[in-house]
Amino acid sequence: MNGRERSANILVAIILAAVFAWVCTSLFAMLGKQADWSKTWEYREALWSGWLVTLGISFAALIGSIFFGLLFMLGQRSHLVVVRCTCRAFLEFVRDTPLLVHLLFGYFVILAPLLARPLGEHGLDDKLIIGVLLLSVFEGAYLGEILRGGVESIPRTQWESARAVGFSPFQVYRYVIFPQALRRVLPAMAGLFVSLIKDSSLLSVIGVAEYFYNTRNVISRSYAGLEGYVPLAVGYLILTLPVAWLSHWLEKRFRHET
Amino acid sequence: MKLEVTQLTKRYGETRAADGLCLSISAARVLVLIGPSGGGKSTLLRLLGGLETADGGTIEMNGQPLSVDALELQVYRRKNGFLFQQFNLFPHLTARHNIALPLEKVHGHSPREALLLAEQALGRFYLLDHADKLPAQLSGGQQQRVGIARAVAHQPEILFLDEPTSALDPEMTAEVLELIQELAEAGQDIILSTHEMGFARAVADQVAFVAAGKIEELSPPARLFSAPQSAICRQFLSRVMRY
Repeated sequence: MNGRERSANILVAIILAAVFAWVCTSLFAMLGKQADWSKTWEYREALWSGWLVTLGISFAALIGSIFFGLLFMLGQRSHLVVVRCTCRAFLEFVRDTPLLVHLLFGYFVILAPLLARPLGEHGLDDKLIIGVLLLSVFEGAYLGEILRGGVESIPRTQWESARAVGFSPFQVYRYVIFPQALRRVLPAMAGLFVSLIKDSSLLSVIGVAEYFYNTRNVISRSYAGLEGYVPLAVGYLILTLPVAWLSHWLEKRFRHET
Repeated sequence: MKLEVTQLTKRYGETRAADGLCLSISAARVLVLIGPSGGGKSTLLRLLGGLETADGGTIEMNGQPLSVDALELQVYRRKNGFLFQQFNLFPHLTARHNIALPLEKVHGHSPREALLLAEQALGRFYLLDHADKLPAQLSGGQQQRVGIARAVAHQPEILFLDEPTSALDPEMTAEVLELIQELAEAGQDIILSTHEMGFARAVADQVAFVAAGKIEELSPPARLFSAPQSAICRQFLSRVMRY
């Protein structure tokens, strides 16, 4: 970095910091006086249980989306034209409509009438289970495309070599194609998992008592402002940042390896 | 090996890569396929190796007819070895594990046994120094030698080599050809396609000239190279031997 670049860098840094400081101070000047952080403490149990539910939803939907992602990927590579086309059409439909619509339509129109009673009879929370299922299918559709791209990026000679050494079709995927494909798509997958955690907040529209839902209730009950929204943002960051860091770390590790 | 091929056809769209191909060999250790690019050498090799199924015709290898059933072909591939032009190795595994993995997962050796056998295979071809390198850390010639070590680690009945040196520079070509010659002298049955005429002449028991999806000529190398019978074979040889 030469002298001119350095001074330009410092100048821009000062301007950015000044703007940020100005926004913060003026906001706190307006809202800070009314902020009463004891409210956050008072409702800590609702916030904590909501955060735990979000963690659980994210984890379950992550597993679920891997399952559906693999299914959609294999479906699109099927030898049967009917399976391929159905898969394609379904993925296109899922990817071209908003998650909010899936959740409302999928829950109230399709799955709740079918599953709410049997799940309730077993003492299960139908909203939670159906919500996780719908989120898994939605993110699975994206994951399926990511995986397909990864698998199809592996050169033909690798498939041939794997067949030539005598691997069965399952072994070809398990030992040769997936280990290589996963390295290539890891960054994209990590990005998707971060989205998944954030998208879980939409489950609030069908009444799942997750972090966003509980925080919103706390805010409307206590008339909280900053003291409600700051924990909301921080709560999601605690979940998403480790995933993002993990992906950067993995990306760097595998870059050196191949 | 004993080989009977009758009326073999294989089409890729409009192209006939094998066009009623017939080939009969009663006894040979090393069969070399030569001929112009796009003439059907690779296709014939892939059909013989059980990597593809023919559209018509039959193949009989050592008296056993080759099946068209996917599972039986997999069993057939398991008892043979195959090497392509390039990118044979699995890039995410070290040389050692490239050899050990199929031994363990395909041939049913225990992980320890598989690693031991892999070590023996690498040692046999003076590759032990490179055992723990990834393919990207090996030269092209070393990669092909590891590829051959993997293809013979389970003592295959027949070793199929599809232009194993076409992607290599002359020095690496020599190191790979030397190894193949060693294997041939040790009694390994080999079917290979190549553009290295000198090597074909030195190592082959039988040379087949493949052009336009047919066997144009089949004879021992001494006769085929000094007095080719068919006109296209003569023309091909005069062109490739000119420089």
